[in-house]
Amino acid sequence: MKDSLVLQSRVSAHPDSRCWFLAWNPTGTLLASCGGDRKIRIWGTEGDNWICKSVLSEGHQRTVRKVAWSPCGNYLASASFDATTCIWKKNQDDFECVTTLEGHENEVKSVAWAPSGNLLATCSRDKSVWVWEVDEEDEYECVSVLNSHTQDVKHVVWHPTQELLASASYDDTVKLYQEEGDDWVCCATLEGHESTVWSLAFDPSGQRLASCSDDRTVRIWRQYLPGNEQGVACSGSDPSWKCICTLSGFHTRTIYDVAWCQLTGALATACGDDAIRVFEEDPGSDPQQPTFSLTAHLHQAHSQDVNCVAWNPKEPGLLASCSDDGEVAFWEYHQTAGL
Amino acid sequence: MAGVRGPGESRASAMAVEQDMFDAVVMADERFHGEGYQEGYEEGSSLGIVEGRQYGTLHGAKIGSEIGCYRGFALAWKCLLHSSTGEKDSRKMKVVEALIALLQHFPYGDPTYERLHEDLDRIRGKFRQLLQSSRTKMLRWQDLGSEMWACHACHILPWI
Repeated sequence: MKDSLVLQSRVSAHPDSRCWFLAWNPTGTLLASCGGDRKIRIWGTEGDNWICKSVLSEGHQRTVRKVAWSPCGNYLASASFDATTCIWKKNQDDFECVTTLEGHENEVKSVAWAPSGNLLATCSRDKSVWVWEVDEEDEYECVSVLNSHTQDVKHVVWHPTQELLASASYDDTVKLYQEEGDDWVCCATLEGHESTVWSLAFDPSGQRLASCSDDRTVRIWRQYLPGNEQGVACSGSDPSWKCICTLSGFHTRTIYDVAWCQLTGALATACGDDAIRVFEEDPGSDPQQPTFSLTAHLHQAHSQDVNCVAWNPKEPGLLASCSDDGEVAFWEYHQTAGL
Repeated sequence: MAGVRGPGESRASAMAVEQDMFDAVVMADERFHGEGYQEGYEEGSSLGIVEGRQYGTLHGAKIGSEIGCYRGFALAWKCLLHSSTGEKDSRKMKVVEALIALLQHFPYGDPTYERLHEDLDRIRGKFRQLLQSSRTKMLRWQDLGSEMWACHACHILPWI
């Protein structure tokens, strides 16, 4: 396990503040970071170094909590504690705020683009999840306000291929939503975590969902369609989700983020104990009851809580992380020989 | 002579009477405790019913007032959009009609309806969606002087 996660570079992205989230653009050439200083920074490489290519300020009045790139890579959405979501349009190295989405009653905690690029989801401390539709003229319309959670909603993420939305909440559950007729409805609730669920990540195929929680575990859930071979009960035509694996005993504090590499299938976690961990599925493990092993554990990856981990979508093994210490770190993950 | 007893029997029954007498004294504490509990329970139950009825009336009125506001808002927008023909306006009309349908299907007279809170949340969500999309409309109606009215509709709702 030694030397399997190596530091490549460290930058002070949001000095004297927290860096809350990171997002790689679809081509993996740019990294967006956002923080408590209300700014968004775009990072790119110049030779061997990571440098700040743009600073997006004046967009928000309070902390920017999450950022997300559109699937085409031309737009960036930012979710802020000022209750708004900004949509930025990229014009070479410049970004211009083209729309501000209002409607949430208080802090917006997360934003995510659907793979089609036509839909956007936001969630907030006001317990609701909103689905927005974008039209050809870059106009955004709210198509649904979902009040299924009973507490603060922390994170939303879209399925990689289907129009299926997942949300994680302070109410200890994960909920899934899909369109039914003219409206969006909650089609499944995943219960099992014993505390706040902070983040979610789908695996490359979209058949499994990883969730991480304040209860210090990562849970892997699998989708079972009606009429499945394994005999998992489904109600009507809705698929059912079952927890097929729980990773416990590895983390000593709250797990704030989980990232599933779309290229290698490796799972990275960001923890409140300042460490980054990587897990890999054991080869040959039963798909209905998989086992994962810890393949990297980097103590003191940062000097404070690690808030986010993000795998580069094009370069296998390149991982970015950020922390309450305001720094962004870039790591190279190597699978140790003989695994 | 009724109840003629043999000598053995009368001694047993005399003993039984003696025992009952002591019983009354020894068990007095427990008996009063039991009676006190029973009285308290009955009084508590009737006070509870009164309190419950008051709470239910208050809470029910709150929900009724909230829904009434949504209904007024939706019906007003239905009138405003009635003569509009644009594509955006017809989408808004769909939302208005969806909200009106949800309000009409809500079982106002049944407090034991199992999906009461779920349906209320759906109504609130649909209203928020309409509020969000009609904001554009409100701005456009500004010059016609209905902005005062449109904004007022929002101010009278304390939960926004």
